[in-house]
Amino acid sequence: MANETVSPEALPRASSAAPAKARRVLPIIEIVVLAIALVVPFVLEDYLTIFATRVLILALFALSFDLVWGYGGIMSFGQALFFGCAGYGVALLGRDLDVTSILLVLPAATLIGLTAALLIGGFLLLGRNPASVIFVSLGTLTGSYAADRLARGWYYLGGQNGIPSIPPMSLGQHDIVEGLEFYYLALGILIVCYLLCRFLVRSQFGLALTGLRENEARITFFGYQVQHLKAIVFALGGAIAGLSGGLYAFHEGFVWPNILGVVFSTQVVLYVLFGGSGTLIGAIIGAVVIEAASFWLSNTFQEIWPIILGVLLLLVIMFRPAGLISLIVSERERVGSFGQPGRRGR
Amino acid sequence: MEQVLSALFEIASFGAIVVLVVLGLGIIASMMGIFNFAQGEFVLLGAYVTYVVHAAGLPVWLGMVAAPFAVGALGFVLERTVVRRFYAAPIVAMLGTYALGLIIREIVRGLIGGLYISVPEPIGGSINIGNMHFSTWRFMIIIITALVMVGSYLLLAKTRFGLKIRASLENPGLARASGISTPAIYGATFAFGAALAGLAGALVVPVFSLFADLGIRFLIQGFVAVMVGGVGSFAGPVAGAGLIGVLSAALPWVIAPVAADILVFVLAIVFVKFRPQGLIAGKGI
Repeated sequence: MANETVSPEALPRASSAAPAKARRVLPIIEIVVLAIALVVPFVLEDYLTIFATRVLILALFALSFDLVWGYGGIMSFGQALFFGCAGYGVALLGRDLDVTSILLVLPAATLIGLTAALLIGGFLLLGRNPASVIFVSLGTLTGSYAADRLARGWYYLGGQNGIPSIPPMSLGQHDIVEGLEFYYLALGILIVCYLLCRFLVRSQFGLALTGLRENEARITFFGYQVQHLKAIVFALGGAIAGLSGGLYAFHEGFVWPNILGVVFSTQVVLYVLFGGSGTLIGAIIGAVVIEAASFWLSNTFQEIWPIILGVLLLLVIMFRPAGLISLIVSERERVGSFGQPGRRGR
Repeated sequence: MEQVLSALFEIASFGAIVVLVVLGLGIIASMMGIFNFAQGEFVLLGAYVTYVVHAAGLPVWLGMVAAPFAVGALGFVLERTVVRRFYAAPIVAMLGTYALGLIIREIVRGLIGGLYISVPEPIGGSINIGNMHFSTWRFMIIIITALVMVGSYLLLAKTRFGLKIRASLENPGLARASGISTPAIYGATFAFGAALAGLAGALVVPVFSLFADLGIRFLIQGFVAVMVGGVGSFAGPVAGAGLIGVLSAALPWVIAPVAADILVFVLAIVFVKFRPQGLIAGKGI
């Protein structure tokens, strides 16, 4: 590990030294996952396509957490807060204002997530005293818990039962219902968000983030506004979480307080840790593997499946802190190379 | 007047419960720098042990005596096998202990099902003063909490063992050089914190009844209390727990319970934001 945490300014040179030799595994994994995702609905039965759509939405949610934790180094234990806020937001839009147009609700969901993350992230991260990692993680955890309690106790939000029977999302006169159509919609959104994130973390901004994650003090001494960088990533993560929350609300057709709460917040942490944080694709693989395993195993081993999940997670944290994906992706590729080798005048 | 008195009693007894739960959490966080996410599940285990002893036909108080020892022993084993690996990285420690807590919680859920099981109070009845009735058991909880608090303080402040714990916290390298086995000390401290959680669970189970998610509500309350009080000292978390406990119990008398619940958390986070060192700053006792 110590050999591989190269200093940020050495990164471009390290990659330019052996551009062709280092076998790049990540793009191959990405293409394989994409190919599988494209053909899966033709293999699965209808009810499984609906399940697969839900998994895609959760994968988008996992992506948002990976951006925040894997790249920003912010342990957001309350990521479900943004997911749930946006879910409740679009549910209210559909219920009270009859707004279901996809062109309005998805931007609204993103905006709700972004605003909530800006407010909470701004409060927790910015300010005179630099926030400690523990404070941010416990602060987000508390926020998520408080939002859960608020939704449970607020009659307008439906209390314990949440908001049932949200009208389907529409495009013009056409209703987008669960099934093939929704599957490819979710897949398209996931791909777009994935590419945006990928571009972001491989840009110069991403370079600063990687430096921040590997050695925060050094990046501070370079003159970066560390807290601002963190707040930006946190807000972007919140926006993506909000988008996935909006999709989720319309796909399931109802929202209930659990999607704001601590258990759901930690669920997404499990996905990302299991798959491998800081790779983007690892988050998606983690979400798919855990959800699929839950789906198959919870029928046969209903009682002990959560225990198995806990044990697996503990083993991964103890012995494979970089997640499943570290079995095939090297640490060096995980950290990644930046810019185009040779073209950065130094 | 009578209403005020019974309100005060309610507030004091709930405050005592929170202090009891937070004590173990605070000791582990302050003395070892680990935020133990499994602490809520240690509380749950203490409650479960009490229930098992009761279900076996033995008196409830026996279960309450057994609970801290059982949970403490488990805490010691877990520290030896798992938690020990996480000392270098606080975030990994949170995740690892969260996974441990998940395992414990789901095992207990598997054992008791999704039920709420009530466990009788070992000392029933109430103390009557005029027209007012105070539950004897809640009164006992206040007294036991006070005793445990004083006992823990004396252990940490006045004994040789406490001195070693504080030395290992202050300067692990120097402590090791002076012949103190810091791994053994950490193991013992973690076991002690776990035992306190077990005791707390055992004592409060007659009040809250036993269910698998018993630990979660205490966990978050506990973390908030530790942060408000200030990590690093013994008095900090206790003061924070007292404040949070009293606020959570007192506010619902003034404003709507739902709003009160959330207001406490929001106030606490805002407080910590502007005073990161907490109510009582500084290390040691």
